[in-house]
Amino acid sequence: MENIIEFKNVNKWFGKLHVLNEINLEIPKGEILVICGPSGSGKSTLIRCINRLEDIQKGEIIVNNIPVHDKSASLTRLRAEIGFVFQQFHLYPHMTVLQNIMLAPVQVKKMDKAKAEKIAMEKLDRVGLAEKSGAYPAQLSGGQQQRVAIARGLAMSPEIMLFDEPTSALDPEMIGEVLDVMVNLVSEGMTMCVVTHEMGFAKKVAHRVLFMDEGKIIETGTPSDFFDHPKTDRAASFISMILTH
Amino acid sequence: MTAFYFERLVEIFPFFLKGLWMTSKIAFISLVTCTLLGFVLGIFRSGKNMMLKRIIGVYVAFVRGTPFVVQVFIIFFILPEWGLQLKAFPAALLAMAIMGSAFICEIVAGGISSIPKGQWEAAASSGLNLVQQLRWVILPQAMKVILPPLVGQFVLLIKDTSVVSVIGVMELTRVGWVTVVRIPEGLMVFSLVGALYFVISYPLILLSNYLEQKMAV
Repeated sequence: MENIIEFKNVNKWFGKLHVLNEINLEIPKGEILVICGPSGSGKSTLIRCINRLEDIQKGEIIVNNIPVHDKSASLTRLRAEIGFVFQQFHLYPHMTVLQNIMLAPVQVKKMDKAKAEKIAMEKLDRVGLAEKSGAYPAQLSGGQQQRVAIARGLAMSPEIMLFDEPTSALDPEMIGEVLDVMVNLVSEGMTMCVVTHEMGFAKKVAHRVLFMDEGKIIETGTPSDFFDHPKTDRAASFISMILTH
Repeated sequence: MTAFYFERLVEIFPFFLKGLWMTSKIAFISLVTCTLLGFVLGIFRSGKNMMLKRIIGVYVAFVRGTPFVVQVFIIFFILPEWGLQLKAFPAALLAMAIMGSAFICEIVAGGISSIPKGQWEAAASSGLNLVQQLRWVILPQAMKVILPPLVGQFVLLIKDTSVVSVIGVMELTRVGWVTVVRIPEGLMVFSLVGALYFVISYPLILLSNYLEQKMAV
């Protein structure tokens, strides 16, 4: 399988903090990758580098054959191929749900409004919120907002979807609806990188789990291998922590 | 005697209207240029280019840290020594543009920086370029923060046009100066001058208050 994302000896520092330490990672097209690890382990930073929300100081990241951190890389083209879902949703509060989803297709892809609206409604339907198209984000629950954010990410028909702790800011009773939507996406064949501690989700759909600590990839494996037979002590103690939690 | 002067004042009232017209002209042109320039400066001031940020910062500090009347003198009396000779009217406009844009720059930069970083990131992530991010996501939200103090600043700028009377522009305040020489009823003359300023400022004050209430919700 061809790799759609490749990290080659990637290093990043925040001041003195070595937040990504010699990261080498290959993500084949269509893989569902779950990234977990204690807070501050660099997992969010890792996926934020993929669409260059963060710069790196050493190494190289190649996405879709584009060297992401190259000066010549067209950021807008790269990002149009990558959907990103934030922990805090970050919907545009001054726009309706529909306008939120249509903005990028109309402005970036220069799609005509009617077509963009049709696609937006499809995606909204996909996340089960078609009836909320005219609402403003503030009128929605957290779970609904996150589902709209997912629809917004999908509107550009990206090959890659990145999720940065998509359920961490949600009340427990809303986590399920967001995870259901994400599980639903798996059949579309997109490449998905999901930073999450939701073991159920990982076991159900992930092809591979990646465990990070202190800026390093400590181990990777299939979900069942990783959760049931972790190879390292650090992973084992992390798993027992999220289990007892 | 007062009645006599009052009649004289009524007689020369058209002269005041001329001054009011000049004041309005300076105010209108300056408000437009200050706003445009202020937004451009404010956007760069809140941007990522450190060099530009610093230069604008120095500009703003200098303008805010010196009296407007001194700035007017520099432009009208000092610049000619370096070969830039301006007539009173364009000199007044230039001085207003420099002063007003610095204040509006700060208002705009403050408004933009009040928008959470996540909004920029969300917009950037979906492929919008910087101009599109500003146009569709950041500025529409920042306007709520910017608009009330901006209109308040407009009122200040309109009143500051009186300062350019010192270089002989025949605007409202200058008309007052000239008139009071012939009609030595200072209170009467300058009450009229004040009333005419008030006529243009007050609607904006009301607008500013209204916006402040509306945007607060």
